[in-house]
Amino acid sequence: MPAEVWDIVLLSLRVAISCVLVSLLPGVVLGWLLARYNFPFKTLVDALLHLPLVLPPVVTGYLLLLLFGRRGFFGPALDTFGISLAFDWKGAVLASAVVGFPLLLRAVRLSIENVDPRLETAARSLGATRLRAFLTITLRLALPGLLAGALLTFARSLGEFGATIVFAGNIQGQTRTLPAAIYTYLNQPGGEDAALGLVLVSASISLLALVGSEFLSRRLRS
Amino acid sequence: MLRLQLKKDLTQFELELDVSCRYAVTAIYGPSGAGKTSLLNMVAGLLPPDSGEIALDDQILFSSARGINLAPEKRRIGYVFQDDLLFPHLDVETNLRYGHDLLPAAQRRFAPDQIVDLLQLSPLLKRSIRHLSGGERQRIALGRALLSSPQLLLMDEPLASLDQGLKSRIIPYLRHIRREFDIPILYVSHSVAEILELTGQVIVLEKGQVLAHGDFFKIASQPGVLPLIEEHGFENVLPVEIIASDPSAGFSRARCGEQEIKIPFSTQPIGSQLFIGLRADDIILSRKEPEGLSIRNALRGKITEIIDVGGTHLVYVDVGRRLASKITREAVEELELTVGSEVFCLIKTHSLRLGPQMT
Repeated sequence: MPAEVWDIVLLSLRVAISCVLVSLLPGVVLGWLLARYNFPFKTLVDALLHLPLVLPPVVTGYLLLLLFGRRGFFGPALDTFGISLAFDWKGAVLASAVVGFPLLLRAVRLSIENVDPRLETAARSLGATRLRAFLTITLRLALPGLLAGALLTFARSLGEFGATIVFAGNIQGQTRTLPAAIYTYLNQPGGEDAALGLVLVSASISLLALVGSEFLSRRLRS
Repeated sequence: MLRLQLKKDLTQFELELDVSCRYAVTAIYGPSGAGKTSLLNMVAGLLPPDSGEIALDDQILFSSARGINLAPEKRRIGYVFQDDLLFPHLDVETNLRYGHDLLPAAQRRFAPDQIVDLLQLSPLLKRSIRHLSGGERQRIALGRALLSSPQLLLMDEPLASLDQGLKSRIIPYLRHIRREFDIPILYVSHSVAEILELTGQVIVLEKGQVLAHGDFFKIASQPGVLPLIEEHGFENVLPVEIIASDPSAGFSRARCGEQEIKIPFSTQPIGSQLFIGLRADDIILSRKEPEGLSIRNALRGKITEIIDVGGTHLVYVDVGRRLASKITREAVEELELTVGSEVFCLIKTHSLRLGPQMT
């Protein structure tokens, strides 16, 4: 594999893994809130969180640019902390996290809803604190679902194109992830072979992730 | 001693009670929806009362006046739920040890082995809880609660989901716990028969109010309590004193008022006083002293009351204690039974159920 391809794969993996990692905590907290509690404007919050699922990714990318771009709404604030997201690999993480987040959230919420809340009650009567009861009972029982959601988010991030290219650009070595690279090669004369190679790599990673998560999830369930 | 003085609005009615439980086992009896489970949940800290105070010995668990509301995990109260609520992802042993392992070693009262032996769980330890019978699951739930070394044990109809055969297999374990361990138990049930196997101390709850509280035998004849009990298969409760026991014959002789009655063999020593339970359906009335019958018991008495309860009649007979017998209208007419008639109550020894010892 040429070094350039290797760099693209590594960058894509780094973006996708970071995307899953930054989504996990908010995904679990929000999924748990939506599964267990009723609060004002719950439907609205739920709809907003799911919006990236139905918006064209290009629109999501543009909204991100408006909010977090250098001249965007939060741009100056981020700038004072020396953080720059747009046209940076961290921006690619944010873009794919926003697009993939509803998938994780949905999976977490559904699997927490499937856990009898009274099991947590039983754990607390046995001396477990709220947090421990949540972690050892509810979250543990929701883990296969959480894992499935994390995998979907990972795969979505690997395939994310529209929002990423608008918000983070297509800078070689920085934000050129697999889909952007494939697109770039296809636009170059004689780039088909390289594009096909990347397609195969991309498909293999996705397949591997699917099989791995299925295996893990089976072990967790048994 | 557990002191409960609380109020809670439960939408359909207000739960309000003010009682002290001093005995090893106090049963809470009442029809479904009387507020029994809500009461247990408030003691466990899962449902906050609107006002009042809950105190276990000198420890205040809840007090609206003082702004105290201990978290459930700080109350050290074991809870056995109606549907066991075992953790489905843990095996039997890990379920049992869940509370035990959370407790500092100095506060542990029992070793897992001790409870495993007591409840005869050792063959199950490594099993997943998915493939266990209802009786096994309830025993594990009980063991799990005991191993958290509780200061009080709450049991919410722990046998309700089991069939009769399983029930009679679990009850000896409960009696064993009552005998061996110094843990007070609050036991919710709507089966008088089940309660009497464990205790004579009962709180009768209806629509959130305490209808009666105390010795079952004394409160059973109170107005309001009787109809509740009758709804759930009437049980006569008689206090008796054992005067002789013959294990080879399989029965004991006991004194009931002035008369004698043969009861199933009891291991209690001569002179012990205990309650026996008896269904109204299981009493046959006869005008004459029977001869040539296999029935061993014939208590002589006078009819004090006959109540028509839609087809069948409840006939109350004073045999030194008041007994209720359920018979058909035809039988009442044929035998020409009226208030004041002298009758014999015929009772098969094995329809008698041995209850708790009087305390």
